[in-house]
Amino acid sequence: MFDFGIVTNWIHTQLASVMSESLAIFLECVIIGVCLLLLYVVIAIIMIYMERKVCAAFQCRLGPTRVGPWGSIQVICDVFKMLTKEIITIRHSDRFLYNLAPYIVIIASVTAFACIPVSRGLEILDFNVGVLFFMAASSIGIIGILLAGWSSNSKFSLIGAMRSGAQMISYELSVGLSILTIVVLTDTMQFSEIVMRQADGWFIFKGHIPAVIAFIIYLIAGNAEVNRGPFDLPEAESELTAGYHTEYSGMHFGLFYVAEFVNLFIISSVAATIFLGGWMPLHIPGLDGFNAVMDAIPGFIWFFAKAFFIVWLLMWIKWTFPRLRIDQILTLEWKYLVPIGLVNLLLMVIVVVFKLHF
Amino acid sequence: MDNKIDIKARIAAIDPAAVWSDAGDGMFRIPVSSFRETAEMLRKEAGFDFLRSLTGMDWGEEGLGCVYHLENTSTGGTITVSTADKDRENAALPSVQDLWKGANFNEREAYDFFGIKFIGHPDLRRLFLRDDWKGHPLRKDYDMALNPLNMKNEVSDDDAPSYEMTPDGSYILKRHPLFEEEEYVINIGPQHPATHGVLRFQVSLEGETIKKIDAHCGYIHRGIEKLCESSTYPQTLGFTDRLDYLGAMQNRHALCMCIEKAMGLEVSERIQYIRTIMDELQRIDSHLLFTSCLAQDMGALEVFFLGFRDREKVLDILEETTGGRLIQTYNTIGGVQADIHPDFVRKVKEFISYMRPKLKEYHEIFTGNVIARERLIGTGKLSREDAISFGATGGTGRASGWACDVRKRHPYAMYGKVDFEEIVLGNGDCFDRYMVRMKEIEQSMNIIAQLIDNIPEGEYQMKVKPLIKLPEGSWYSAVEGSRGEFGVFIESRGDRYPYRVKFRSTGLPLVSCVDTIARNVKIADLIAIGGTLDYVIPDIDR
Amino acid sequence: MVGYIKGIFRGLGSLLTGMKVTFKEFFTRKITEQYPENRAVLKMHDRFCGELVMPDESKCIACGLCQMACPNSTIKITTEPVTDPETGKTRKRLVKYEYDLGSCMFCHLCVNACPHDAIRFSTEFEHAVFTRSKLVKILNKQ
Repeated sequence: MFDFGIVTNWIHTQLASVMSESLAIFLECVIIGVCLLLLYVVIAIIMIYMERKVCAAFQCRLGPTRVGPWGSIQVICDVFKMLTKEIITIRHSDRFLYNLAPYIVIIASVTAFACIPVSRGLEILDFNVGVLFFMAASSIGIIGILLAGWSSNSKFSLIGAMRSGAQMISYELSVGLSILTIVVLTDTMQFSEIVMRQADGWFIFKGHIPAVIAFIIYLIAGNAEVNRGPFDLPEAESELTAGYHTEYSGMHFGLFYVAEFVNLFIISSVAATIFLGGWMPLHIPGLDGFNAVMDAIPGFIWFFAKAFFIVWLLMWIKWTFPRLRIDQILTLEWKYLVPIGLVNLLLMVIVVVFKLHF
Repeated sequence: MDNKIDIKARIAAIDPAAVWSDAGDGMFRIPVSSFRETAEMLRKEAGFDFLRSLTGMDWGEEGLGCVYHLENTSTGGTITVSTADKDRENAALPSVQDLWKGANFNEREAYDFFGIKFIGHPDLRRLFLRDDWKGHPLRKDYDMALNPLNMKNEVSDDDAPSYEMTPDGSYILKRHPLFEEEEYVINIGPQHPATHGVLRFQVSLEGETIKKIDAHCGYIHRGIEKLCESSTYPQTLGFTDRLDYLGAMQNRHALCMCIEKAMGLEVSERIQYIRTIMDELQRIDSHLLFTSCLAQDMGALEVFFLGFRDREKVLDILEETTGGRLIQTYNTIGGVQADIHPDFVRKVKEFISYMRPKLKEYHEIFTGNVIARERLIGTGKLSREDAISFGATGGTGRASGWACDVRKRHPYAMYGKVDFEEIVLGNGDCFDRYMVRMKEIEQSMNIIAQLIDNIPEGEYQMKVKPLIKLPEGSWYSAVEGSRGEFGVFIESRGDRYPYRVKFRSTGLPLVSCVDTIARNVKIADLIAIGGTLDYVIPDIDR
Repeated sequence: MVGYIKGIFRGLGSLLTGMKVTFKEFFTRKITEQYPENRAVLKMHDRFCGELVMPDESKCIACGLCQMACPNSTIKITTEPVTDPETGKTRKRLVKYEYDLGSCMFCHLCVNACPHDAIRFSTEFEHAVFTRSKLVKILNKQ
């Protein structure tokens, strides 16, 4: 498996040889920041295109076909359209918070995005409490949504924001519990380390029953965490027209929209990382020839394939089910997912203590 | 008939001045002074619990009044009574909205269009027109020039007026606020994805829970009843397709039937067959759209597209024969516009064999789905008594356990001769309302399957004089539309033009019962309730 | 407790049944109509009512029955009297047959009223124009 750490180290030494160490690090930070934002945008565009195509396929339609081959330029055109649109300011709104809200949402999303290991040596934020940091960063987004709903001075937005607050804070718990289950199995909270431990088999296989349960809980809770159907209550278009972003226009709306899609990707890629081995190829202990072939495929391809597979899975779920009601969403979380998650955590502890895992 | 004589005697016992007028279907004319007493007798003693239709009338010299079509749901007996107040300036009738809840909105409509004050009505606002409208447009002495195009925004009244009569014969106007100051009121509509058109609900919320709903209609009122008064009978037909656009065939069928009844014209068996098949195809079309839209309102877009895909096949069949998809202009007075297309029989059969397995697919993806069930079962219950009292016919009434299918109650066309089951469920909740429609699709296919192979030879258009005049009198006929009893009331004075046409809207009773059903439910439930009630706005706002 | 666990599995089962249906739909042939790319092959049903046409204007005797039958005053006929040189009788001749597509409600009354089948509906459906006045069409060619 190719280690991108070699490339990054080489760049660092080259830079350090022509300038001072601190300047080199500063420059690297800038470059990485730009790369991160670029990747963020590219992922967002791919996700939106994928959503439109996949949803169309589920619904017996073709989706965008006109702009570019198979409509591939469509999303880019939409981005430009969005950029040229006027940003409307609402009278009697809290101007400062109203303008701030989309940026909080996008900052939370970008920070969480930076935690994800794309390939060996391609980690941006990777420290020993990475999982904790990821959880903390991604939950800042709720504040942005609440602010958006509150400051818009619209009753629809406010209801959407309240729903979203109740829902996201609840589901944070289940996401945490299911990740914790895997942390118990790996005894590390560092993303790169979690991936490395899966060299001899992905956790979903190694941890068998509790890992599968945790995976399912994670998918459900993660889906709810990013407000995607069937948990898209905060923006339930047939009830609240657009929920918390009803009053936003132009790129401010665009930021919410992009953040929603990239959050979906983040949730999927974290699922891929902690359950399906991230960039780690499929290894079956004992079959060396097979493992060698698998290793020939670059890590980032493994990573994106797994992440997009889970994205597809979540899209499949979204486009099949009707939306839940607010009390049902909370019932599902507090009466089903949390107790099951806790029992599952206990189960995992037992599995680990008695070495019942593979 | 015995029943009628008995009723006649009982009405005469209350007021000997009540007369039976024979023209057309005939009706009892009851003096306004004893009307309230008669109405109470009819409702409480004679058991006429279903107000089929309430029609405001302007009889010129005889004053302003109303025609009430009543039905006894246990015996099936019907009766028509009318009353009028000669004082045109200050016409006042006793309100019957406490006897039949469905009268509430209908009396508001009559007040709106005729200026009749209903004494004792708690909320006598205009129903359709703007609050600042001048005059009452369906009166014969209405001056069009009173209301030029208004370019100002409407200021809608926040309080409901009611009239009470004092012993000396004058009226006291009282006003009651609709909502309190501190209530959290949001507008669902007129522009809202889940109201299926321009209907506006003012909803008072407590958290997510709905405390009160006030429905505002009239955003696309086109005054079709007024237009009909200046159209010849063939010209009135064109409007019916634009009422309930998902029941174009049935609406037009009702009007044609009513005019044919008045003319004394019997149509050939072939026409009856074609009309019945078309009605049922239209019903399948409408119910498929109902399922799709309900699913879409609840967030299941998949079912929406499946429904539209299959509905397209029905529309294709209809289009091939009639030349239209939504606006079909097919039934005519004494026949149908064109004979069925040579491919019609084959395509209908193909469709039926295609549709049966598809229905199973709907049940798999939506009916059985745990989320859909959780959301639909037990929400928005409408009791049988309320359904009858509001006159909520169609799938809504049948889901509440009221066998209200006009096809069974007053069979018309071929319905008396085909074998089909009237779907009646008992819970009256959203899920039953949904299931009634799903099962009715199957029943409609059964009806079509029985008829399609046996369409007799014959003419598709009877010989009708080019100039159609109806004799003096009044007639009412009803069909089972896609979402309930669609009735047509015509009063003729012997002209080429009807004196008064009233369409019994299928949707108005459904909207009037929303406040009753949707109290203390969540916003999301209101969407499900609206979806399952299945009203179509142009049918409410005629 | 048993009911709780049963409920979970029953719920999951119903969800999976639904997902099975959508999965099948994912691979079925799509039904999107690629208009306007499919213009060449797109054929309307021959009874489709697109707009009123007068295929053979010699059939029209300018009797005005269609104009009278129309509920919306969509049709406006201008005539001039001509004298038949042989018989010496005066009869009306069609000068201009104006049809306003914008106010037509396709009720068929004009077609039904026409004693000589001079007018009928065509299947033309592409009616988009920029101004209302372009919807007023002159059906006879002169």
